[in-house]
Amino acid sequence: MVARVLGALTLIMLVLSAASAQSNIPILSGGAGFLTATQGDNTFFQPVVAPVLVVPLGENWLVESRADLRGFISRENGTTGPYQGRFFGTLEYLQLDYNANSHLTITAGRFLTPFGIFNERLSAIWINKLQDAPLIAAIGTAGGYSDGFMLRGALISNDRYAVNYTAYFSTLSNVTKFESERTTGGRVGVYIPSIGLELGTSYQRKLQNRRMNSFGTHISWTPSGLPLEIKGEWAHSLSGHGYWIQGGYRLSQLGGANSATGRLEPVFRMQQFFRSRHIAGDSLSATNLRRPEFGLNYYLPYEIRLNASYGRQFISQFTDVNVWEFGITYRFLFPLWPGESK
Amino acid sequence: MRHRIFVAVVLTCLWSVFVLAVAQTDAKHSQNNSKPQPSGATTRSQTVGEKRFQTNCGRCHNAPEAISPSEARAVVRHMRVRAMLSAEDEKLILEFLAP
Repeated sequence: MVARVLGALTLIMLVLSAASAQSNIPILSGGAGFLTATQGDNTFFQPVVAPVLVVPLGENWLVESRADLRGFISRENGTTGPYQGRFFGTLEYLQLDYNANSHLTITAGRFLTPFGIFNERLSAIWINKLQDAPLIAAIGTAGGYSDGFMLRGALISNDRYAVNYTAYFSTLSNVTKFESERTTGGRVGVYIPSIGLELGTSYQRKLQNRRMNSFGTHISWTPSGLPLEIKGEWAHSLSGHGYWIQGGYRLSQLGGANSATGRLEPVFRMQQFFRSRHIAGDSLSATNLRRPEFGLNYYLPYEIRLNASYGRQFISQFTDVNVWEFGITYRFLFPLWPGESK
Repeated sequence: MRHRIFVAVVLTCLWSVFVLAVAQTDAKHSQNNSKPQPSGATTRSQTVGEKRFQTNCGRCHNAPEAISPSEARAVVRHMRVRAMLSAEDEKLILEFLAP
């Protein structure tokens, strides 16, 4: 039923877009990949396709959507038995945007919950430099997705600094594939272009069952002239608190970005989560976790990226496991029909 | 036997993705090579646009290797919402991506 509705909506949007203007060409973008992970003795394989549909409607309206279609293949009994696969399909966002003016966009529908920087900006498989989401990704994001409306934009944007903001309200939904929690919240970030630094803070209040607040801060630093990027988040909720900080340095200074060495990017991430109290369904680890990781990304031509990483996950003070991950991702972009050449 | 079938399916999928990628990017390169050269004024706004691209979009991901003018408009509209660009940033980045 949901698939039929989505199919019909997509068709209507495409027709409307075609009628609106030839310059508004809808695109199908996104990523595809094959990911493998070995945690301790358990090995998983995940073929993933994450299509992004963008349909401009006139000058100010836009419909955009992203899904995550993923297989999960593992041994029947964890470490023994034949391999078996399961399939998961997730509608991550399906939203209608209206650009009200230069500083305000009004969004309605299903959207990625804007808390911190990972969920909205880095979670796409062709962007994320390490396969896994951070340990604290569930804090303040209400499962990652919200159904409701959102205001967002650049409050101020000039050569010296930029201030961006989001504010949203999400309703409770139990509709299959459109599940969300009743929450409200927002995020504010200040970016200073001259030093490539962004600092921001996020807030979410859960408005159902046990009402609770989540707070977070984030940092993103990409110094100009250096192929370095450092990103990090700290988040706190009633369930617990934690942080992640990640650094990546592409070796493009050794022969250029397209040289054999320049395509390589070492990445390091350190993260910790500290459990405060057990709250059912919070999607966080039941115990304290600590996980340092080191990865290597290799950017091949044709938007293909290879990645490999090793991490060691310390579970409380007693247990630790090795985490090996390998993957290949491909970022694609197609116009849905031929448009003007300029 | 199941394991072999599984490996064969995986290798076939990977090969298909690679072939698709090569075909798509080659087509885009040939399309972009036929683009006219921009004028001086356009070049200046492109430089500003490139700077805006690096500071706004480049913070999270690399620039696409090849993008046709017909795709660029939708991509920048998408990024205006994602990256919370102002209308001016959107215009400049579009001039950079699709001069």
